[in-house]
Amino acid sequence: MRIQDHLVPGRIVLLKAKAKAQALGELVCLLADDAPGIEREELSRAVLQRESLMSTGIGQGLGVPHVRMAGLRQVMMAIGVSREGIEDYGSLDGKAVRIILLIGAPAGQHEEYIRLLALVTEVLKSAELREAILAAKSPQDVYSLLTGGGPS
Amino acid sequence: MTVLAFLDTSHLPVLVVIGLAIFFGTVGAKLFKRLHIPQVVGYITVGLIVGQSGLKIIHEQVIESLEPFNFFALGIIGFLIGGELHREVFKKHGRQFLTILLSEGLGAFVLVSLSVGGIVYLIRGDLATAAAMGLVFGALSSATAPAATANTLWEYRTRGVLTTATFAIVALDDALALGLYSLAAGVATILTGHGEGSLGAMLGQTAWELLGGAGLGVLVGIGLNFLVRRGGDHDNSLAFIVGALAVVIGTARAVKLDAILAAMALGATLSNLAPRRSQEAFRIVERFAPPLYVLFFVIVGAHINLSSMPAWMWALAVPYVVARSLGKILGSNVGARMAGAPAVLRKYLGFCLFCQGGVAVGLSILAAARFGGELGTAFILIIAVTTFVVEILGPPFVKFAARRAGEIGLNVTEDDLMGEYTVGDMVSRTAPTFREDTPLSRILRTIAETDAMTYPVTDRQGTLVGVVTIQDLKQSFRAEGLGDWLLAFDVMQPPADTVAETMPLAEAVARMREQELEYLPVIAADDHSRLVGLLELRKVSRDLSQELLSRRQRAEASQQSPPAGLSEPEGS
Repeated sequence: MRIQDHLVPGRIVLLKAKAKAQALGELVCLLADDAPGIEREELSRAVLQRESLMSTGIGQGLGVPHVRMAGLRQVMMAIGVSREGIEDYGSLDGKAVRIILLIGAPAGQHEEYIRLLALVTEVLKSAELREAILAAKSPQDVYSLLTGGGPS
Repeated sequence: MTVLAFLDTSHLPVLVVIGLAIFFGTVGAKLFKRLHIPQVVGYITVGLIVGQSGLKIIHEQVIESLEPFNFFALGIIGFLIGGELHREVFKKHGRQFLTILLSEGLGAFVLVSLSVGGIVYLIRGDLATAAAMGLVFGALSSATAPAATANTLWEYRTRGVLTTATFAIVALDDALALGLYSLAAGVATILTGHGEGSLGAMLGQTAWELLGGAGLGVLVGIGLNFLVRRGGDHDNSLAFIVGALAVVIGTARAVKLDAILAAMALGATLSNLAPRRSQEAFRIVERFAPPLYVLFFVIVGAHINLSSMPAWMWALAVPYVVARSLGKILGSNVGARMAGAPAVLRKYLGFCLFCQGGVAVGLSILAAARFGGELGTAFILIIAVTTFVVEILGPPFVKFAARRAGEIGLNVTEDDLMGEYTVGDMVSRTAPTFREDTPLSRILRTIAETDAMTYPVTDRQGTLVGVVTIQDLKQSFRAEGLGDWLLAFDVMQPPADTVAETMPLAEAVARMREQELEYLPVIAADDHSRLVGLLELRKVSRDLSQELLSRRQRAEASQQSPPAGLSEPEGS
C-alpha cells in the first residue's frame, strides 16, 4: 500500500482556518469535490458524527478524521496543514493539531481503510517528517515529503 | 334452478359436503385447541352441529354413502396403532398387559352389567330383559376407542410406560369386547327368546372374525413388507400401503372378518418385520392421514341424533358412563397391582380408557339388528349418546393422565422442540456487546476473553447500529497504536440480518442456515432497533439437543422404572 494511491497534491491545503469546524469543512470540500456522487453536506455530517463519539486528535499534533460512506468508490485522503495549530480540536494529549489527514472509504472497504489509517499514523510518528511538513512551502512539497522523501 | 338446488342442503354434492366437513372440522378443532381441549372433540362437535342433531347439512344418505370411507379411515387408524405394537414391548410387558386388559375390560363389564341391569329391572320389573340388557351393555362398555385415544396421545406427543400400555390395551380390548359381546349376546338371546343358532355357533363365528381378521392382516403385511422394501421411493410406499389397507379392509368386510383388527395386524406386521425401515412408511401415512381423521370424526358426530332419544333412556346413559368409567379405573388399578406394573399404570391407566367409538357403535348396531324393537333402539341410542359424552370427556382425561404421568411432550424431534420456542427463549441476553465509542483496545481484550465470533454494537440508546466480527478485525490486530482511538464505530459492519425477539425459533434458525450465519442480533419486537441480545446457532442446537436428551431420558426412565414396592412376578 502506498500513500500516493490515495492522495493527489490537489487535495492538500495549507490551512488558514483556526477553528476545527472550518478546518474540517475545507478538507471535506476537497474530498467531496473529487468524489463523484458525494455531497459535501453528507460527508460533513458523517465526519462530525464520528468526531462526536470521540475526537480524532490522536496526539503529536495529528488529527485523523475518518469515515466510511456508501457512495465513496475508493479509499481517499485529503490533508490540511496548519502552522499555527488548531487549538479546539480536542486532542488526546490536549495540544493543538497541526496536520489533519481526512480519510474517506467506501462502506465495504474495510481492510484497505484500516491499513491506510495504520500506515499514515506510523509514517507520521517521525517528528522529523512532521517538522518538514509544517515547514513546507506548498501542497506539492507536502506531497513529495509524504510519498517520496519521507521514511516509508 | 340449479342454483336453488344447490342451496337446498339435501342436494349438496357429496364432495362439497366432504370438503366443508374437513374445512369446518379443522377450524372447529383449532378453536378447541385454543381451549386446550383435544382436537377430536372439536371434530365431533362440528359433526353434531352440521349433522342429524343440528343443522342437518350432512344428511343420512351422505353419511351412509360414506360408509366405505369410514372403514378406510378406521383402517388407517388401526394401521397406525398396529405400528405402535413392537414385538419387544410385548415380550417385555405382554403378561402385564394381558392381566391389565382382562381386569379393566371385565371391570367395566361387571359394573355396567350390574348397574344398567339393576336400573332396567327397577323400571321394567322384568328380570330377563334386565339381565339381557345388562350383559350386552356390559360387553359394549368394555371396548375402548383406539382412534380418539391414540389421536390424543399423538397430539400431545406422549412417550413412556403409560403411553405404551394405553396403545397396547386399546389395540387389544376391542378383541376382548368382541369376545364378551358374542358371549353376552348369546346368553341374552337365550334369555329373551330371540336368536338363530346356538351359543357354540356364535362363539365359532366370533373366533373366525378375530383370528381370520388377524390372519388376513399378517398375510397382507408380509406381502406389503416385500413391496415396500423393493418399491424404493416414498410415493410408492404410500401407494402400496393405501392399496394394501383398502384391500385388507374391503376383504375383511366382505367375508365378515374384523376389519379394524385386520388393519392393526397389517401395521403390526410391517412394523415388526422391518422395525427401522417401516418407521419412514408410518411417518408418510401419518402425514397423509389428518384430513381423513377430520372427516371421519365429523361424520361420527353428524351421525348422532340426540333428539330421537326417549326420556327414560337418558336414565340409563348416566349409570352406563359412570359405571363404565369406574370399572375401567378400578379394573386397571387391580390389574396393574396383580401384574406388578409400575405405579403410574395403577394410578392413571384407567383414565386413558374412557373413549368409546367404532367398535361399541358397530356392536350396538349388530345388537339392534339381533334384538330389534325397543331393546334394539335402546342399544343404538344409548351407545350413541354415551359415545358422544365419553368422546367429549375421554380425550381430556387421556390428556390429564398423560400430564400427571409426566409423559406429555416426551416424544419429540428437534424440529418439534424448535416449534415450542421463540427467539426470545433462546437469545443470549448477556452476550458481550460494544457501544459504538468503545475503543479497539477494549474490543480486542473482550474478544480474547470470550468465545463469540460476532459482537453487536449499539449507540447510547441501546439501538443496534452494527456488528463487529473477528474477521473484520484481522487487519487491526497488527496495527499498533490504533487501539486507543479507533472505535467500534470505525470497525463495525452493518448487521447482515436481524430477527425480532418474538419470531418463532424455527424461522430464525432456517434463516441463519440459509445465510450461513452463526450469529444473529436479536432486536425488541415493539421497538424495532433496540438490541436484546444475540442468537447463537451453536448454543441453540446445544440447548435443543440437551432438552431433547432430557425428555428422551425421562421417557426411557418411565419405561424402565421398576414397579414400586413390588418385585417382578416372574418367579412367583
